[in-house]
Amino acid sequence: MVHLTSDILQSVVKPARYTGSEWNAVHKELDGITCRFALSMPDVYEVGMSNLGLKILYEILNNRHDTWAERVYAPWIDMEEHMRNKNIPLFSLESFTEMKEFDFIGFSLQFEMCFTTVLNMLDLSGVSIWAKDRKEDDPFIIGGGPCVYNVEPVADFFDLFVIGEAEEALQELVDVFASWKKEGRPDGRIGFLKRAAQVHGIYVPCLYTPEYSKTGMYTGIKPVDDKTPAVIYKRIIQNMDDVETMEKPIVPYIDIVHNRIMLELFRGCSRGCRFCQAGVAYRPVRERSEKKLRELARKMIDSTGYDEISLTSLSSADYSCLGGLVDNLMCDFSNEKVGFTLPSLRIDSFSIDLADKMQQIRKSGLTFAPEAGTQRMRDVINKGVTEEDLLAATGAAFKKGWKTVKLYFMIGLPTETDEDVIGIAKLAKKVVDHYKEVTGRRGVKVTISVSCFVPKAFTAFQWFGQNTLEEFARKQQLIKEHITDRSIHYNYHDAHVSLLEGVLARGDRRLAPVIYSAWKNGSRFDGWTDQFDLERWNKAFEENNIDPNYYNHRSRDFDEVFPWEHTTPGVSRAFLKHEYEKAVAEQLTKDCRRGDCTGCGICQTLGVNIVDWGRNRA
Amino acid sequence: MPEKAAAFTYRGEVTKEAALRFISHLDYSALIERAICRAKLPVAYSEGFNPHMKLSFASALALGVTSDCEYMEFILSKDLCQPEVFERLSAQLPDGVTLKALKKVEGKHKALMSLADEARYIISFSAEGQEKEWAQAVQAFNNAEVCIYQRVTPKKTREIDIKQYVIGQLEIKTENNMIELTAALKITPQGSVKPAEIVEYISKTHGLNNNISDVDIRRTELLAGGGNLMDAH
Repeated sequence: MVHLTSDILQSVVKPARYTGSEWNAVHKELDGITCRFALSMPDVYEVGMSNLGLKILYEILNNRHDTWAERVYAPWIDMEEHMRNKNIPLFSLESFTEMKEFDFIGFSLQFEMCFTTVLNMLDLSGVSIWAKDRKEDDPFIIGGGPCVYNVEPVADFFDLFVIGEAEEALQELVDVFASWKKEGRPDGRIGFLKRAAQVHGIYVPCLYTPEYSKTGMYTGIKPVDDKTPAVIYKRIIQNMDDVETMEKPIVPYIDIVHNRIMLELFRGCSRGCRFCQAGVAYRPVRERSEKKLRELARKMIDSTGYDEISLTSLSSADYSCLGGLVDNLMCDFSNEKVGFTLPSLRIDSFSIDLADKMQQIRKSGLTFAPEAGTQRMRDVINKGVTEEDLLAATGAAFKKGWKTVKLYFMIGLPTETDEDVIGIAKLAKKVVDHYKEVTGRRGVKVTISVSCFVPKAFTAFQWFGQNTLEEFARKQQLIKEHITDRSIHYNYHDAHVSLLEGVLARGDRRLAPVIYSAWKNGSRFDGWTDQFDLERWNKAFEENNIDPNYYNHRSRDFDEVFPWEHTTPGVSRAFLKHEYEKAVAEQLTKDCRRGDCTGCGICQTLGVNIVDWGRNRA
Repeated sequence: MPEKAAAFTYRGEVTKEAALRFISHLDYSALIERAICRAKLPVAYSEGFNPHMKLSFASALALGVTSDCEYMEFILSKDLCQPEVFERLSAQLPDGVTLKALKKVEGKHKALMSLADEARYIISFSAEGQEKEWAQAVQAFNNAEVCIYQRVTPKKTREIDIKQYVIGQLEIKTENNMIELTAALKITPQGSVKPAEIVEYISKTHGLNNNISDVDIRRTELLAGGGNLMDAH
């Protein structure tokens, strides 16, 4: 058991990150525990504790009598220094057990910039960084989360991955582990991994060998034998009402990023924005019933004492009977001080009315994501939103008393012209002017936040070559020059980080040594602006003689084989290609949720259906 | 005239044990609030745009210090009997907080915050072979009229006389290589001294090994005019 002395805890920022014992944290007797599972996020406590997926898995795994799931997050720089100086290994927050004693360490991989932090956590745990170097009694390192749709750059660091939704797959995996252990661990580590590879949705990278052409092009990946599946399809929960889920979330003692109850209305979003990986990864839409949601809300309020519920989803306003649900929830909790929030607002006045009803007291800022500045560009990305929609929505908000609006945009999209870029500044100005028209006053604050587009695997834009640093910088400047109103506040992202994300998002296994070198050079917490250091990465590419441009700037041929295609959400390649062609032709594709099937192939390939209570009722 | 909302004040004695010693005072207050919510007690909230629960504490506890005796008051809108409130709240308190006593406060009384005027602590740490030196240093501290300590906060550094806040003598006991100091400290509207500051002052001024790794500080009593806060008004 790891003991942190009080001098260490007194000297670090937020010591309660490391002391555990929160309300609803699960403590068990080791007697009768077959599987010890550490659930981790390669980020600090406040971020890790806010992740919905980990909360769900924590509860599901702990509902099993043979399993004890505990939590571990990345120690911040100050704590890491103490741990390294005093040889304190990374430990779990429930029993303060060092990581090496666990059977599994599971990492939730939310975005590419967390990769070096994974390596750092493995190192702090005393576990070999490379999967091939791990010993018989080392923990199995397992990954999950959105990054699994191109996991190849980190494949060599992991023993296995769960592709897709893990509620059922992880339980099946634990069953396989338990019987392997009971039988006396036949064939050792590889014996278990081979069995695990038979579980649907489990990818065991060491059982596959990538192949490259003489010119260095990736040509495909070969499973070790014909028993190992050539393609691993994502796992998906068909019935969101029946699946085991979170009812007693842990209540942290310190403030965290999302310090409230997350009530997951539905999974999936089929609006079909062509840049969006989540839109493909979580298809099809599957709603929870209102009855189930009210029941879950009641259970979670009673078990936590929280006073706020966030109605979480990729696009919450699309829940089929949201108005009724909100009314009923507000009624259920009318005698308690419980507030409700909508994390994602659709650009229409229905959303504004709802937001107004829910936040009757505080008028915090509203956030919309038009994503692009001109109608042409929005048509290219299939963002079915017009300027009129935005003005109607912001106008409705201004009438109700909102004074600050935040607008999200991207630059570097396919077919983008300078006119499209300047359109961002112009659209912001129109919103400012609209405030004066609607209210007859000044004093609005419009913040535009402009990020650099990163093409992602399994999207219509997976073939597209990312803009160069110079292009991004020029476009960022172009927007700046066209902002003429002092009510507009302009934020833009560091293009260097987006370019690196662009490399990793469509990379292959040849990037593993680069990630390793970057970590050796001191990289971790790359997602934190104050910790990111480009030099460490530049050096890492040089040291390994890898040209990053090959991965991010290169336009790919339509017949090129991609290194991510064997861990798939089930989308058809032909559909994505067709969407790219429609994008270039500025043609829209409708939401399949209530309209016709658009042929992405996911439902058919995976044998699942859309669950939409509005559609089912109609 | 609108009828005044019914208000019943309850005062409780609670602990802050080792598991929670690194939770700040504000976060400690928040965890009690959540426990009150889970207990479904009909607690009163302030009016206004940002209503907050009517819950107050006698005295903030420094980070890293445990306590046998924190005092809090909350207001309920219903007149519930003591055993019911006690049991419902106790059942919802996390490890590291124990509700030791609870009573309904009748009649007018001052705010808890302004009642507390003295705190007593036990400070223990490993002597690392310096038992004698510590005994001498504590005696010197007790004999001194004034002890000027440099208090460093993120905003500024200032010098304060910490001796003015010490009631009587610091007592020292050594046993099994452990040193135990007992201190009674004044809480005044102008300020007070933290027990950790006294230890730091003594070890620094006497050149004792000041990298003591595991100091345990426990608040054993919090008093009003020499009496228990549960009975003060």
